[in-house]
Amino acid sequence: MGLTRWLGRLASGADIPVFAVTGAGGRLIGEEVALLPGVRVVDSPREANILLVVGRVTAPLLGPLLRVHDQLPAPRATVWWPLEPDGDGLRSAIPGLVAGRPGDGDGLRRVFAELLSGARGSEPPVLPDEEPAEWRGVGPYGQGGTGMTGGVPYGRPLPARAPDPDGLELDQLPLRVGPFFPPLPPGLVLDIGLQGDVVRQATVGDNPFLSGPGDPSAGPEDLDTAAFFHAVASPRNVAELETARARHHLRWVARSLRLHGLDARGLHVLALSRSLTPARRPAVMALAGELGRSRSLAAALRGIAPVTGHDACGGPTARAAGVAVDARLEDPAYRGLGFSPVVHAGGDALARLLQRLAEAVQALDLAERAGDLVRRPGPPLEGPRGPLVAGAPGPSAALLGLLPRLLVGQEWGDAMTTVASLDIDMEEAAAGRPAAAPA
Amino acid sequence: MSWSSPLPAMALVGAVLVAGSYVVAVLDAAMAGAVAGRRTRLGDAALRPARHAALLLVTRRSGTERPDARAWALAPALLAAMAAVGVATVPLSRDVAVADVADGIVLFGAAMAVVMVGVFLHGWSANSPMPLLGGYRFIALALSYEMPLALVLIAAALPAESLSVGAIVDSQHDLWNVVRQPLGLPLYLVAGTGLAFWGPLDTCDAADLAGGTAVEVSGPARLVWELSRRFVLVAVAVMGAAVFLGGWQGPLLPGAVWMALKALALAALITWLGHRVARVRLERFVVVAWTVLIPLALVDVFVSGAIAL
Amino acid sequence: MTRSLPVDVAFWLFGAGSVLSAWLVFRTDSMVRAAYWLLASFAGVGVVMVLLHARFLGLVLVLMMAGEMTIMAVFMVMFMMNPAGLNPMTMVHQHRTAKVAGVVAFAGLALVGVVGDFPDRPADPSRDPTAALGRELLGDSMLIFEGAGVTLLATMIGALAIAGKRGRYGDAEHGSAPPPLGMAAPTGGGGVGGADAAAGPAGGDEHPGMAGMEHP
Repeated sequence: MGLTRWLGRLASGADIPVFAVTGAGGRLIGEEVALLPGVRVVDSPREANILLVVGRVTAPLLGPLLRVHDQLPAPRATVWWPLEPDGDGLRSAIPGLVAGRPGDGDGLRRVFAELLSGARGSEPPVLPDEEPAEWRGVGPYGQGGTGMTGGVPYGRPLPARAPDPDGLELDQLPLRVGPFFPPLPPGLVLDIGLQGDVVRQATVGDNPFLSGPGDPSAGPEDLDTAAFFHAVASPRNVAELETARARHHLRWVARSLRLHGLDARGLHVLALSRSLTPARRPAVMALAGELGRSRSLAAALRGIAPVTGHDACGGPTARAAGVAVDARLEDPAYRGLGFSPVVHAGGDALARLLQRLAEAVQALDLAERAGDLVRRPGPPLEGPRGPLVAGAPGPSAALLGLLPRLLVGQEWGDAMTTVASLDIDMEEAAAGRPAAAPA
Repeated sequence: MSWSSPLPAMALVGAVLVAGSYVVAVLDAAMAGAVAGRRTRLGDAALRPARHAALLLVTRRSGTERPDARAWALAPALLAAMAAVGVATVPLSRDVAVADVADGIVLFGAAMAVVMVGVFLHGWSANSPMPLLGGYRFIALALSYEMPLALVLIAAALPAESLSVGAIVDSQHDLWNVVRQPLGLPLYLVAGTGLAFWGPLDTCDAADLAGGTAVEVSGPARLVWELSRRFVLVAVAVMGAAVFLGGWQGPLLPGAVWMALKALALAALITWLGHRVARVRLERFVVVAWTVLIPLALVDVFVSGAIAL
Repeated sequence: MTRSLPVDVAFWLFGAGSVLSAWLVFRTDSMVRAAYWLLASFAGVGVVMVLLHARFLGLVLVLMMAGEMTIMAVFMVMFMMNPAGLNPMTMVHQHRTAKVAGVVAFAGLALVGVVGDFPDRPADPSRDPTAALGRELLGDSMLIFEGAGVTLLATMIGALAIAGKRGRYGDAEHGSAPPPLGMAAPTGGGGVGGADAAAGPAGGDEHPGMAGMEHP
């Protein structure tokens, strides 16, 4: 029809709504998709027309990925940015897949234009359209229930009653969020018992990045803290490490800002982090000052999820609780630079925000002064999330262990803030075994 | 213009809402671009809402398992209708007032109360957890801002000795209410931002709910929802301009132009706040609304009542 | 009240609509829908009041009922055992008594309506009902309305004080235990395993649906 075609032409110039799904190794590129001009990364698959898969899709991720794929409305297309030559598990599951070069915004635009002009058909659903459970004809009225209450009406069990701290018995909804839930880090699956909007139980699901029998094991190159994992075993330029640290903290800040409704500001910080050099320290200091003074952000973060230094096992989380533990104190390279750890008090989400901002500024300062200084492997390395020791899992694993206790009793928004403030990476928690340093 | 000629009246209200929403969308995108540090060309920015609307129109509407289909379809329409009612009560220029009834403020209040029903239904009907949480959050938000909203509007009605919006505009011929009642406009902006669930008070379509009540909505239904949200924002801005900024009154330019400028100024202010202020924690906002905003609104009423007597 | 075709049409439309949606309140199984059908019924009554020239009262009715029906929906969802209407339920009980009471009430009201001698005092359309209402509220009826207002306020404050977590003797959750319900032992709660971990005696009622629960 003429109208549809005209609308399609008009629409092909719109910002491409993309739902980005991150597989193994794709976190860095997946986050930077938002910076591509003319691309809008959306929070819900229903808002998107293009499903962008970045990185390697492990076997546990494939099922949820296909379900997300079917949630995109027509006209939809899937674009895959594999980061290494890969098997065709994903290709066989989604026949219409378009493989592209990572970071290729023009390729996205081309697929989008083809989709809207009709040159590329919308992808059909890949999963069969069937009920979760057989319910027709079951029960006295045929709806699967047993009488007035109870049963499995329309195929789904009713929520069970559970005690509420006020002494009432209220329904508790079992909810599984993840692995592609935008407020959570990619790969994190939470099984939550939700009573109203309060989390009453939380369990962390299996890590989908743990190498299964058929998956090639993820190397440390895939991680977003790859530079640090390499530095455990090989000499690295201190300036490079510290700039990477500042970059990491700024990316975290961008994610946090997006979670708290400041999308545009988050994009600005993400752009800053991508082009970060020690010379841009004034910009980062200005950012730290502005966010530190922001009353609304402080109100959104204050008092949430306090973590004591003892629980945190090092890293910015411990330093935000007032514990001045930093592996860089033991490092001769840093001692020469006059390094002393930044510490905040309180240990809540606000302290962690201020801590990471301060550490980013400090890291750029160290990078500027370090010049050509090289760090020799041997002493423990302080990664951006915590100390990295050869042969031990990365700090994300310990932080994951804190989650269930911290989340219980939190309202939903605060729970998401809690997870975000801990800066967890599921890949690091799974693959955190850096090579041992040479003797 | 009166109720005896409904078609021109509806067309006018519709035109105001659509034009206002378009301009607000362009402003919003421009501000977002400025904050994000991107440079956008004027032509691109002006066409962006139209392109986005076209994209949503060609996208298919998706459904969930066993939603309440009628309520789900009704909810955005209810929002749009209530925004239209709100705009209709405001005199848009000296001679043009679609429904400047003697109880205009109460009509506006009733329409904005039904907005709460619309947003809750939008969240509840989808039969999905995230929209449901968004819907319930909006109830808590709405019950908290409704009292300050009603109280500041009543306080503005006191000097006019009438509940009609036209009379309130006329009562500002010597001094605007924003000066005469300094507490009025800030409280109205907070309540209005909550009513339009924009920016810091966007708890129901929030990022931590991955989109909240709009998670399961796509295609034309999504377009209607996004339009209706902006309609409510425009209605809030238009009423605020009339009640606090003197409405269509102003030198040199015709009344309609002044009205448009003032309403746009308020809408731009709310949009700008949306990019600068982080989203509130709902529990904290409820406490602040009941313990701080309501007493302030009561002070506003008492003071303006004392002055008016 | 101006008699004219649009007014008559509106009256019959909204009046019939009110009756219809009031009937639907009892036909629907879902609590939220029931609350909003009731809101629709009240809105219809509000429109009829506006048609009767009591515009302020009609609009205030809609304003209050929108908030109140939403709160009622929330409370019904909180307390009812089947709020979503997923299992069909009977909303009426004691059928015979209800039928008899309904017929008797209808007969009585109809008798009054048909036989009663209603006064014929057309209101003066030039008078402003809002102003008249205001004068009445702050004049002859001030004691009643202010007394009612203060009583409601005191009730709200009292309810908040009772529901609050911090009482005179400390935090409500310190040392509190749910009352021993003395009923059957907790059900084979495989499906609700984790839920029982929070507090001592699990939900005492034998809940027929629990056997069907599966832990996702």
